[in-house]
Amino acid sequence: MKKIVVACGSGVATSQTIASKIDSMLQDEGIKASVEAVDIKSLDNIIDQVDVYVKIVSGPTNYDIPTINGIPFLTGMGRDAEFEKLKEYLK
Amino acid sequence: MFADILNYILDLGAAIFLPIIMIILGLIMKMKPRKAIIAGLTLGVAFTGMNLVLGFMFDTISPVAQEFVKNTGIQFNTIDVGWSPMSAISWAWPYALLMFPVQIVLNIIILALNKTNVLNVDLWNVWGKIFTATMVAAITNSVILGFAAAIVQIILELKIGELNQKQIYEVTKIPGVTCTHYMTLQCVIMNPVNKLLDFIPGLKDSKMNADKLKDKIGIFGENSVMGFIIGGIIALVAGYTVKDSLNIAIKVATALVLFPMVAKLFMQALAPIADAAGEYMKKKFKDREIFIGLDWPFMAGQSEIWVVAILLVPLELLFAILMSKMGLSNILPLAGIVNIIVVVPALIVTGGNLIRMLILSIIFTPFYLFVSSSFAPFVTDLARKVGTINIPDGQMISYFGVEAPFFRWIISNGLAGDILGIIGMIIFAVCYYFFVKEMKKRNANL
Repeated sequence: MKKIVVACGSGVATSQTIASKIDSMLQDEGIKASVEAVDIKSLDNIIDQVDVYVKIVSGPTNYDIPTINGIPFLTGMGRDAEFEKLKEYLK
Repeated sequence: MFADILNYILDLGAAIFLPIIMIILGLIMKMKPRKAIIAGLTLGVAFTGMNLVLGFMFDTISPVAQEFVKNTGIQFNTIDVGWSPMSAISWAWPYALLMFPVQIVLNIIILALNKTNVLNVDLWNVWGKIFTATMVAAITNSVILGFAAAIVQIILELKIGELNQKQIYEVTKIPGVTCTHYMTLQCVIMNPVNKLLDFIPGLKDSKMNADKLKDKIGIFGENSVMGFIIGGIIALVAGYTVKDSLNIAIKVATALVLFPMVAKLFMQALAPIADAAGEYMKKKFKDREIFIGLDWPFMAGQSEIWVVAILLVPLELLFAILMSKMGLSNILPLAGIVNIIVVVPALIVTGGNLIRMLILSIIFTPFYLFVSSSFAPFVTDLARKVGTINIPDGQMISYFGVEAPFFRWIISNGLAGDILGIIGMIIFAVCYYFFVKEMKKRNANL
Protein backbone atom coordinates (compact mmCIF):
# COMPACT_ATOMS: atom_id res chain seq x y z
CA MET A 1 0.00 0.00 0.00
CA LYS A 2 1.30 3.47 -0.92
CA LYS A 3 2.02 5.81 1.93
CA ILE A 4 1.07 9.48 1.87
CA VAL A 5 2.38 11.85 4.50
CA VAL A 6 1.13 15.33 5.41
CA ALA A 7 3.38 17.46 7.61
CA CYS A 8 2.67 20.56 9.66
CA GLY A 9 4.06 22.37 12.68
CA SER A 10 2.58 20.10 15.31
CA GLY A 11 1.43 17.06 13.35
CA VAL A 12 -1.98 17.58 14.89
CA ALA A 13 -4.33 20.19 13.56
CA THR A 14 -3.66 21.38 10.02
CA SER A 15 -1.94 18.24 8.79
CA GLN A 16 -4.64 16.01 10.30
CA THR A 17 -7.40 18.12 8.70
CA ILE A 18 -5.78 17.64 5.29
CA ALA A 19 -5.02 13.97 5.94
CA SER A 20 -8.67 13.29 6.86
CA LYS A 21 -9.83 15.18 3.78
CA ILE A 22 -7.51 13.28 1.43
CA ASP A 23 -8.38 10.00 3.11
CA SER A 24 -12.10 10.51 2.60
CA MET A 25 -11.59 11.67 -1.03
CA LEU A 26 -9.54 8.54 -1.75
CA GLN A 27 -12.13 6.33 -0.05
CA ASP A 28 -14.87 7.86 -2.19
CA GLU A 29 -12.91 6.83 -5.28
CA GLY A 30 -12.12 3.41 -3.89
CA ILE A 31 -8.36 4.00 -3.88
CA LYS A 32 -6.44 2.28 -1.11
CA ALA A 33 -3.57 4.20 0.44
CA SER A 34 -2.49 5.16 3.92
CA VAL A 35 -2.55 8.84 4.83
CA GLU A 36 -0.66 10.01 7.88
CA ALA A 37 -0.26 13.38 9.59
CA VAL A 38 3.16 14.02 11.09
CA ASP A 39 5.16 16.71 12.81
CA ILE A 40 7.38 18.54 10.30
CA LYS A 41 10.38 18.14 12.59
CA SER A 42 10.19 14.36 12.38
CA LEU A 43 9.81 14.33 8.60
CA ASP A 44 13.54 13.82 7.94
CA ASN A 45 13.44 10.55 9.87
CA ILE A 46 10.58 8.95 7.97
CA ILE A 47 10.76 10.47 4.49
CA ASP A 48 12.48 7.34 3.11
CA GLN A 49 9.35 5.27 3.69
CA VAL A 50 7.02 7.81 2.11
CA ASP A 51 5.59 7.59 -1.43
CA VAL A 52 3.91 10.99 -1.69
CA TYR A 53 4.62 14.04 0.43
CA VAL A 54 1.84 16.59 0.89
CA LYS A 55 3.54 19.90 1.54
CA ILE A 56 1.82 22.66 3.52
CA VAL A 57 4.66 24.81 4.69
CA SER A 58 6.63 27.13 2.54
CA GLY A 59 10.33 27.07 3.06
CA PRO A 60 13.62 25.81 1.80
CA THR A 61 13.33 22.08 2.43
CA ASN A 62 12.54 19.88 -0.56
CA TYR A 63 12.60 16.12 -0.81
CA ASP A 64 13.36 13.86 -3.71
CA ILE A 65 9.94 12.25 -3.82
CA PRO A 66 6.61 13.10 -5.49
CA THR A 67 5.22 16.15 -3.72
CA ILE A 68 1.84 17.84 -3.93
CA ASN A 69 0.57 21.07 -2.42
CA GLY A 70 -1.64 20.64 0.66
CA ILE A 71 -3.07 24.16 0.89
CA PRO A 72 -5.74 23.63 -1.83
CA PHE A 73 -7.27 20.89 0.34
CA LEU A 74 -7.92 23.57 2.96
CA THR A 75 -9.02 26.42 0.73
CA GLY A 76 -10.82 24.42 -1.95
CA MET A 77 -9.17 26.47 -4.69
CA GLY A 78 -7.34 24.24 -7.18
CA ARG A 79 -8.12 21.17 -5.13
CA ASP A 80 -9.20 18.96 -8.00
CA ALA A 81 -5.96 19.57 -9.90
CA GLU A 82 -3.84 18.63 -6.88
CA PHE A 83 -5.99 15.56 -6.25
CA GLU A 84 -5.54 14.44 -9.88
CA LYS A 85 -1.77 14.78 -9.43
CA LEU A 86 -1.97 12.71 -6.28
CA LYS A 87 -3.89 9.96 -8.07
CA GLU A 88 -1.25 9.90 -10.82
CA TYR A 89 1.50 9.45 -8.23
CA LEU A 90 -0.41 6.62 -6.56
CA LYS A 91 -0.74 4.56 -9.75
CA MET B 1 -38.37 15.54 33.48
CA PHE B 2 -36.42 16.90 30.53
CA ALA B 3 -33.99 18.61 32.89
CA ASP B 4 -33.51 15.31 34.71
CA ILE B 5 -32.61 13.53 31.48
CA LEU B 6 -30.25 16.34 30.48
CA ASN B 7 -28.55 16.29 33.86
CA TYR B 8 -28.22 12.54 33.73
CA ILE B 9 -26.54 12.74 30.34
CA LEU B 10 -24.19 15.56 31.39
CA ASP B 11 -23.37 13.59 34.51
CA LEU B 12 -22.10 10.72 32.39
CA GLY B 13 -18.99 12.82 31.73
CA ALA B 14 -17.56 14.44 28.64
CA ALA B 15 -16.10 11.16 27.36
CA ILE B 16 -19.65 9.78 27.06
CA PHE B 17 -21.96 12.71 26.36
CA LEU B 18 -19.87 14.37 23.67
CA PRO B 19 -19.61 11.20 21.57
CA ILE B 20 -23.40 10.82 21.85
CA ILE B 21 -23.93 14.38 20.61
CA MET B 22 -21.31 13.81 17.93
CA ILE B 23 -23.03 10.71 16.56
CA ILE B 24 -26.43 12.46 16.54
CA LEU B 25 -24.93 15.52 14.81
CA GLY B 26 -23.22 13.30 12.26
CA LEU B 27 -26.46 11.47 11.46
CA ILE B 28 -28.32 14.79 11.12
CA MET B 29 -25.63 15.92 8.69
CA LYS B 30 -26.28 12.71 6.70
CA MET B 31 -23.01 11.02 7.52
CA LYS B 32 -23.01 7.27 6.99
CA PRO B 33 -23.89 5.60 10.34
CA ARG B 34 -20.62 3.68 10.26
CA LYS B 35 -18.60 6.89 9.93
CA ALA B 36 -20.69 8.75 12.49
CA ILE B 37 -20.26 6.01 15.09
CA ILE B 38 -16.51 5.79 14.52
CA ALA B 39 -16.16 9.58 14.75
CA GLY B 40 -18.17 9.63 17.98
CA LEU B 41 -16.25 6.83 19.61
CA THR B 42 -12.94 8.35 18.51
CA LEU B 43 -13.91 11.49 20.40
CA GLY B 44 -14.59 9.48 23.55
CA VAL B 45 -11.28 7.67 23.11
CA ALA B 46 -9.54 11.03 22.67
CA PHE B 47 -10.91 12.32 25.99
CA THR B 48 -10.04 9.17 27.84
CA GLY B 49 -6.60 9.01 26.25
CA MET B 50 -5.92 12.62 27.13
CA ASN B 51 -6.88 11.96 30.75
CA LEU B 52 -4.58 8.96 30.80
CA VAL B 53 -1.54 10.87 29.55
CA LEU B 54 -2.34 13.93 31.64
CA GLY B 55 -2.63 11.76 34.76
CA PHE B 56 0.66 10.03 33.90
CA MET B 57 2.42 13.36 33.39
CA PHE B 58 0.97 14.85 36.54
CA ASP B 59 1.84 11.83 38.67
CA THR B 60 5.38 11.99 37.36
CA ILE B 61 6.07 15.69 37.70
CA SER B 62 3.91 16.68 40.67
CA PRO B 63 6.13 15.16 43.42
CA VAL B 64 9.22 16.46 41.60
CA ALA B 65 7.79 19.97 41.53
CA GLN B 66 7.03 19.78 45.25
CA GLU B 67 10.61 18.70 46.01
CA PHE B 68 11.87 21.44 43.68
CA VAL B 69 9.95 24.03 45.70
CA LYS B 70 11.27 22.62 49.00
CA ASN B 71 14.83 22.48 47.74
CA THR B 72 15.03 25.88 46.07
CA GLY B 73 12.35 27.99 47.74
CA ILE B 74 11.07 28.92 44.27
CA GLN B 75 7.27 28.73 44.18
CA PHE B 76 6.25 26.65 41.18
CA ASN B 77 2.80 25.47 42.22
CA THR B 78 1.41 25.40 38.70
CA ILE B 79 2.51 22.93 36.09
CA ASP B 80 2.35 23.83 32.42
CA VAL B 81 0.62 20.93 30.66
CA GLY B 82 0.65 22.49 27.19
CA TRP B 83 -2.19 23.28 24.82
CA SER B 84 -3.40 19.78 23.99
CA PRO B 85 -4.98 18.92 27.38
CA MET B 86 -6.37 22.44 27.41
CA SER B 87 -8.22 21.80 24.15
CA ALA B 88 -9.69 18.65 25.69
CA ILE B 89 -10.81 20.54 28.78
CA SER B 90 -12.36 23.25 26.59
CA TRP B 91 -14.28 20.78 24.43
CA ALA B 92 -15.73 19.29 27.59
CA TRP B 93 -17.32 22.57 28.67
CA PRO B 94 -21.11 21.97 28.61
CA TYR B 95 -21.72 24.86 26.15
CA ALA B 96 -18.68 24.09 23.97
CA LEU B 97 -20.39 22.83 20.83
CA LEU B 98 -22.54 25.99 20.64
CA MET B 99 -19.38 27.81 19.61
CA PHE B 100 -19.45 26.13 16.18
CA PRO B 101 -22.68 27.80 15.02
CA VAL B 102 -21.65 31.07 16.70
CA GLN B 103 -18.40 31.27 14.73
CA ILE B 104 -19.89 30.05 11.43
CA VAL B 105 -22.96 32.30 11.50
CA LEU B 106 -21.00 35.34 12.66
CA ASN B 107 -18.41 34.90 9.92
CA ILE B 108 -21.09 34.52 7.27
CA ILE B 109 -22.91 37.64 8.47
CA ILE B 110 -19.74 39.76 8.51
CA LEU B 111 -18.81 38.53 5.04
CA ALA B 112 -22.30 39.20 3.73
CA LEU B 113 -22.14 42.74 5.12
CA ASN B 114 -18.82 43.20 3.31
CA LYS B 115 -17.09 44.06 6.57
CA THR B 116 -14.36 41.53 5.92
CA ASN B 117 -13.00 39.44 3.08
CA VAL B 118 -11.75 36.62 5.28
CA LEU B 119 -13.45 33.25 5.71
CA ASN B 120 -12.11 31.36 8.69
CA VAL B 121 -12.31 27.66 7.83
CA ASP B 122 -10.13 26.61 10.75
CA LEU B 123 -12.88 24.98 12.77
CA TRP B 124 -10.47 23.01 14.91
CA ASN B 125 -9.42 26.20 16.66
CA VAL B 126 -12.97 26.87 17.73
CA TRP B 127 -11.61 25.48 20.99
CA GLY B 128 -9.59 28.69 21.47
CA LYS B 129 -12.82 30.68 21.54
CA ILE B 130 -14.30 28.15 23.93
CA PHE B 131 -11.27 28.53 26.18
CA THR B 132 -11.66 32.32 26.28
CA ALA B 133 -15.34 31.86 27.06
CA THR B 134 -14.61 29.42 29.90
CA MET B 135 -12.15 31.81 31.52
CA VAL B 136 -14.45 34.82 31.16
CA ALA B 137 -17.40 32.77 32.44
CA ALA B 138 -15.36 31.58 35.44
CA ILE B 139 -14.13 35.07 36.35
CA THR B 140 -17.36 36.99 35.70
CA ASN B 141 -19.75 34.18 36.70
CA SER B 142 -21.66 34.73 33.47
CA VAL B 143 -21.84 32.34 30.53
CA ILE B 144 -23.38 35.15 28.42
CA LEU B 145 -20.34 37.35 28.97
CA GLY B 146 -18.19 34.34 28.09
CA PHE B 147 -19.86 34.13 24.70
CA ALA B 148 -19.69 37.93 24.29
CA ALA B 149 -15.92 37.79 24.76
CA ALA B 150 -15.68 34.90 22.29
CA ILE B 151 -17.60 36.97 19.73
CA VAL B 152 -15.16 39.86 20.14
CA GLN B 153 -12.32 37.40 19.64
CA ILE B 154 -13.89 35.93 16.49
CA ILE B 155 -14.26 39.41 14.97
CA LEU B 156 -10.72 40.43 15.90
CA GLU B 157 -9.32 37.24 14.36
CA LEU B 158 -11.02 38.05 11.07
CA LYS B 159 -10.02 41.73 11.04
CA ILE B 160 -6.40 41.04 12.04
CA GLY B 161 -6.24 38.19 9.52
CA GLU B 162 -7.36 40.62 6.84
CA LEU B 163 -4.78 43.26 7.85
CA ASN B 164 -1.96 40.71 8.04
CA GLN B 165 -2.71 38.94 4.77
CA LYS B 166 -0.22 40.84 2.58
CA GLN B 167 2.54 40.66 5.14
CA ILE B 168 2.04 36.91 5.55
CA TYR B 169 2.11 36.49 1.78
CA GLU B 170 5.43 38.37 1.67
CA VAL B 171 6.91 35.91 4.16
CA THR B 172 5.39 32.63 2.91
CA LYS B 173 4.49 33.35 -0.75
CA ILE B 174 1.32 31.27 -0.37
CA PRO B 175 -1.52 33.10 -2.16
CA GLY B 176 -5.15 33.38 -1.10
CA VAL B 177 -4.70 32.58 2.56
CA THR B 178 -4.11 34.31 5.86
CA CYS B 179 -3.79 33.29 9.49
CA THR B 180 -6.85 33.64 11.71
CA HIS B 181 -5.36 31.98 14.76
CA TYR B 182 -5.93 33.95 17.99
CA MET B 183 -2.19 34.10 18.60
CA THR B 184 -2.21 36.93 16.04
CA LEU B 185 -4.11 39.09 18.56
CA GLN B 186 -0.69 39.63 20.12
CA CYS B 187 0.38 41.47 16.94
CA VAL B 188 -1.74 44.40 18.13
CA ILE B 189 0.33 45.01 21.24
CA MET B 190 3.64 43.95 19.68
CA ASN B 191 3.31 46.58 16.97
CA PRO B 192 4.15 49.67 19.09
CA VAL B 193 7.20 47.92 20.58
CA ASN B 194 8.34 46.97 17.12
CA LYS B 195 8.02 50.63 16.10
CA LEU B 196 10.25 51.62 19.04
CA LEU B 197 12.90 49.21 17.77
CA ASP B 198 13.17 51.40 14.67
CA PHE B 199 15.14 53.82 16.83
CA ILE B 200 17.87 51.28 17.52
CA PRO B 201 20.47 51.62 14.78
CA GLY B 202 21.38 48.47 12.89
CA LEU B 203 18.09 46.72 13.63
CA LYS B 204 16.19 48.22 10.76
CA ASP B 205 17.23 45.87 8.01
CA SER B 206 19.45 43.33 9.69
CA LYS B 207 19.33 40.11 7.72
CA MET B 208 20.38 36.79 9.14
CA ASN B 209 20.20 33.36 7.68
CA ALA B 210 18.15 31.27 10.06
CA ASP B 211 18.25 28.09 7.96
CA LYS B 212 21.81 27.13 8.91
CA LEU B 213 21.20 27.94 12.55
CA LYS B 214 18.09 25.79 12.53
CA ASP B 215 20.07 22.82 11.20
CA LYS B 216 22.40 23.17 14.19
CA ILE B 217 19.91 23.65 17.03
CA GLY B 218 16.72 22.23 15.52
CA ILE B 219 17.05 19.03 17.57
CA PHE B 220 16.07 20.98 20.69
CA GLY B 221 12.70 21.71 19.15
CA GLU B 222 11.76 18.03 19.36
CA ASN B 223 9.28 17.29 22.12
CA SER B 224 11.22 14.23 23.19
CA VAL B 225 14.55 16.05 23.47
CA MET B 226 13.18 19.10 25.26
CA GLY B 227 11.03 17.00 27.61
CA PHE B 228 14.02 14.85 28.52
CA ILE B 229 16.31 17.81 29.19
CA ILE B 230 13.86 19.94 31.18
CA GLY B 231 12.45 16.97 33.10
CA GLY B 232 15.96 15.84 33.98
CA ILE B 233 17.15 19.28 35.06
CA ILE B 234 14.12 19.86 37.29
CA ALA B 235 14.58 16.47 38.93
CA LEU B 236 18.30 17.04 39.53
CA VAL B 237 17.69 20.50 41.01
CA ALA B 238 14.93 18.98 43.16
CA GLY B 239 17.57 16.74 44.68
CA TYR B 240 16.82 13.40 43.02
CA THR B 241 19.59 10.91 42.29
CA VAL B 242 20.96 10.63 38.76
CA LYS B 243 19.17 7.32 38.28
CA ASP B 244 15.79 8.69 39.40
CA SER B 245 16.32 11.90 37.43
CA LEU B 246 16.97 9.97 34.23
CA ASN B 247 13.78 8.00 34.77
CA ILE B 248 11.77 11.14 35.41
CA ALA B 249 13.35 12.70 32.32
CA ILE B 250 12.23 9.86 30.07
CA LYS B 251 8.73 9.90 31.56
CA VAL B 252 8.33 13.62 30.92
CA ALA B 253 9.62 13.08 27.38
CA THR B 254 7.04 10.30 26.96
CA ALA B 255 4.16 12.51 28.08
CA LEU B 256 5.25 15.35 25.76
CA VAL B 257 5.47 12.98 22.79
CA LEU B 258 2.12 11.33 23.56
CA PHE B 259 0.14 14.57 24.04
CA PRO B 260 0.07 15.55 20.36
CA MET B 261 -0.58 11.94 19.36
CA VAL B 262 -3.72 11.91 21.47
CA ALA B 263 -4.70 15.41 20.32
CA LYS B 264 -4.66 14.04 16.78
CA LEU B 265 -7.60 11.81 17.76
CA PHE B 266 -9.67 14.92 18.50
CA MET B 267 -8.91 16.16 15.01
CA GLN B 268 -9.85 12.83 13.45
CA ALA B 269 -13.15 12.80 15.32
CA LEU B 270 -14.02 16.41 14.52
CA ALA B 271 -12.75 16.38 10.92
CA PRO B 272 -15.97 15.19 9.21
CA ILE B 273 -18.09 17.85 10.96
CA ALA B 274 -15.51 20.61 10.50
CA ASP B 275 -15.07 19.63 6.88
CA ALA B 276 -18.80 19.66 6.13
CA ALA B 277 -19.18 23.06 7.79
CA GLY B 278 -16.14 24.45 5.94
CA GLU B 279 -17.43 23.22 2.57
CA TYR B 280 -20.81 24.77 3.28
CA MET B 281 -19.22 28.14 4.05
CA LYS B 282 -16.95 28.06 1.01
CA LYS B 283 -19.86 27.23 -1.27
CA LYS B 284 -21.81 30.23 0.00
CA PHE B 285 -19.13 32.67 -1.12
CA LYS B 286 -17.64 30.96 -4.12
CA ASP B 287 -18.31 33.89 -6.46
CA ARG B 288 -16.44 36.40 -4.34
CA GLU B 289 -12.75 36.93 -3.89
CA ILE B 290 -12.10 35.96 -0.32
CA PHE B 291 -9.06 34.99 1.67
CA ILE B 292 -9.20 31.71 3.52
CA GLY B 293 -8.26 31.98 7.19
CA LEU B 294 -6.10 29.09 8.38
CA ASP B 295 -4.35 27.84 11.48
CA TRP B 296 -0.70 28.97 11.77
CA PRO B 297 1.24 25.86 10.59
CA PHE B 298 1.44 26.96 6.96
CA MET B 299 4.09 29.37 8.28
CA ALA B 300 5.97 26.59 10.08
CA GLY B 301 8.49 26.29 7.25
CA GLN B 302 10.11 29.57 8.29
CA SER B 303 13.30 28.57 10.09
CA GLU B 304 13.29 31.82 12.08
CA ILE B 305 10.31 30.57 14.10
CA TRP B 306 12.11 27.50 15.39
CA VAL B 307 15.42 29.26 15.98
CA VAL B 308 13.80 31.98 18.11
CA ALA B 309 11.55 29.52 19.99
CA ILE B 310 14.58 27.42 20.97
CA LEU B 311 16.77 30.37 21.93
CA LEU B 312 13.94 31.53 24.18
CA VAL B 313 13.87 28.40 26.35
CA PRO B 314 16.60 29.30 28.88
CA LEU B 315 15.23 32.84 29.15
CA GLU B 316 11.72 31.52 29.85
CA LEU B 317 13.06 29.50 32.77
CA LEU B 318 15.00 32.51 34.04
CA PHE B 319 11.90 34.73 33.82
CA ALA B 320 9.80 32.03 35.50
CA ILE B 321 12.20 32.01 38.46
CA LEU B 322 12.48 35.80 38.68
CA MET B 323 8.75 36.39 38.39
CA SER B 324 8.03 33.68 40.94
CA LYS B 325 10.42 35.44 43.35
CA MET B 326 8.48 38.67 42.74
CA GLY B 327 5.17 36.90 43.29
CA LEU B 328 4.00 37.61 39.73
CA SER B 329 3.77 34.05 38.50
CA ASN B 330 4.01 30.50 39.79
CA ILE B 331 4.03 28.42 36.64
CA LEU B 332 6.79 26.04 35.66
CA PRO B 333 6.99 26.09 31.84
CA LEU B 334 7.15 22.50 30.71
CA ALA B 335 4.95 21.05 27.96
CA GLY B 336 4.70 24.39 26.15
CA ILE B 337 8.28 25.44 26.67
CA VAL B 338 9.05 25.60 22.93
CA ASN B 339 6.71 28.58 22.78
CA ILE B 340 5.97 29.00 19.07
CA ILE B 341 2.89 30.93 20.17
CA VAL B 342 4.87 34.10 21.00
CA VAL B 343 7.14 33.82 17.96
CA VAL B 344 4.58 33.62 15.15
CA PRO B 345 2.96 37.02 15.86
CA ALA B 346 6.47 38.47 16.15
CA LEU B 347 7.26 36.98 12.73
CA ILE B 348 4.25 38.73 11.21
CA VAL B 349 4.83 42.09 12.90
CA THR B 350 8.53 42.22 11.99
CA GLY B 351 8.14 40.68 8.56
CA GLY B 352 10.56 37.88 9.50
CA ASN B 353 13.46 39.89 10.96
CA LEU B 354 15.20 37.37 13.23
CA ILE B 355 16.78 39.79 15.72
CA ARG B 356 13.58 41.79 16.12
CA MET B 357 11.57 38.59 16.53
CA LEU B 358 13.89 37.51 19.31
CA ILE B 359 13.70 40.88 21.10
CA LEU B 360 9.89 41.02 20.85
CA SER B 361 9.55 37.43 22.03
CA ILE B 362 11.74 38.12 25.06
CA ILE B 363 9.85 41.30 25.96
CA PHE B 364 6.47 39.56 25.71
CA THR B 365 7.34 36.26 27.43
CA PRO B 366 6.41 37.61 30.93
CA PHE B 367 2.81 38.14 29.73
CA TYR B 368 2.47 34.41 29.10
CA LEU B 369 3.89 33.54 32.51
CA PHE B 370 1.71 36.05 34.34
CA VAL B 371 -1.57 35.24 32.58
CA SER B 372 -1.15 31.46 32.62
CA SER B 373 -0.47 31.69 36.37
CA SER B 374 -3.45 33.96 36.92
CA PHE B 375 -5.76 31.56 35.04
CA ALA B 376 -4.40 28.48 36.83
CA PRO B 377 -7.08 28.21 39.59
CA PHE B 378 -9.87 28.34 36.97
CA VAL B 379 -8.15 25.91 34.62
CA THR B 380 -7.54 23.50 37.52
CA ASP B 381 -11.16 23.78 38.56
CA LEU B 382 -12.36 22.97 35.03
CA ALA B 383 -9.91 20.07 34.73
CA ARG B 384 -11.17 18.61 38.00
CA LYS B 385 -14.73 18.72 36.71
CA VAL B 386 -13.87 17.03 33.44
CA GLY B 387 -11.26 14.52 34.22
CA THR B 388 -10.40 11.71 36.43
CA ILE B 389 -6.99 13.11 37.24
CA ASN B 390 -6.31 13.76 40.84
CA ILE B 391 -4.80 17.20 41.39
CA PRO B 392 -3.91 17.60 45.09
CA ASP B 393 -4.82 20.83 46.91
CA GLY B 394 -2.20 23.53 46.54
CA GLN B 395 -1.15 22.23 43.12
CA MET B 396 -2.53 23.56 39.87
CA ILE B 397 -2.29 23.09 36.13
CA SER B 398 -2.40 25.69 33.40
CA TYR B 399 -0.81 26.29 30.02
CA PHE B 400 2.06 28.64 29.46
CA GLY B 401 1.39 29.15 25.73
CA VAL B 402 -1.92 30.86 26.42
CA GLU B 403 -1.95 32.32 22.84
CA ALA B 404 -3.54 35.72 23.42
CA PRO B 405 -2.56 36.41 27.04
CA PHE B 406 -3.06 40.17 26.98
CA PHE B 407 -6.46 40.05 25.30
CA ARG B 408 -7.71 37.16 27.41
CA TRP B 409 -6.64 38.71 30.68
CA ILE B 410 -8.07 42.17 30.02
CA ILE B 411 -11.36 40.92 28.66
CA SER B 412 -11.99 38.46 31.48
CA ASN B 413 -10.97 40.89 34.22
CA GLY B 414 -12.39 43.96 32.46
CA LEU B 415 -15.81 42.37 32.04
CA ALA B 416 -15.68 41.43 35.72
CA GLY B 417 -15.34 45.14 36.51
CA ASP B 418 -11.69 45.01 37.60
CA ILE B 419 -10.11 48.44 37.14
CA LEU B 420 -6.82 47.09 35.74
CA GLY B 421 -8.79 45.00 33.29
CA ILE B 422 -10.74 48.04 32.12
CA ILE B 423 -7.56 50.09 31.70
CA GLY B 424 -6.12 47.17 29.76
CA MET B 425 -9.16 47.15 27.47
CA ILE B 426 -8.60 50.83 26.70
CA ILE B 427 -4.89 50.23 26.02
CA PHE B 428 -5.78 47.34 23.72
CA ALA B 429 -8.30 49.49 21.83
CA VAL B 430 -5.73 52.28 21.34
CA CYS B 431 -3.10 49.77 20.21
CA TYR B 432 -5.62 48.29 17.79
CA TYR B 433 -6.25 51.71 16.26
CA PHE B 434 -2.51 52.18 15.63
CA PHE B 435 -2.15 48.62 14.40
CA VAL B 436 -4.82 49.18 11.74
CA LYS B 437 -3.07 52.39 10.66
CA GLU B 438 0.36 50.79 10.54
CA MET B 439 -0.74 47.70 8.60
CA LYS B 440 -2.70 49.77 6.07
CA LYS B 441 0.37 51.92 5.50
CA ARG B 442 2.56 48.85 5.17
CA ASN B 443 0.12 47.07 2.86
CA ALA B 444 0.13 50.09 0.55
CA ASN B 445 3.91 49.78 0.25
CA LEU B 446 4.14 46.01 -0.14
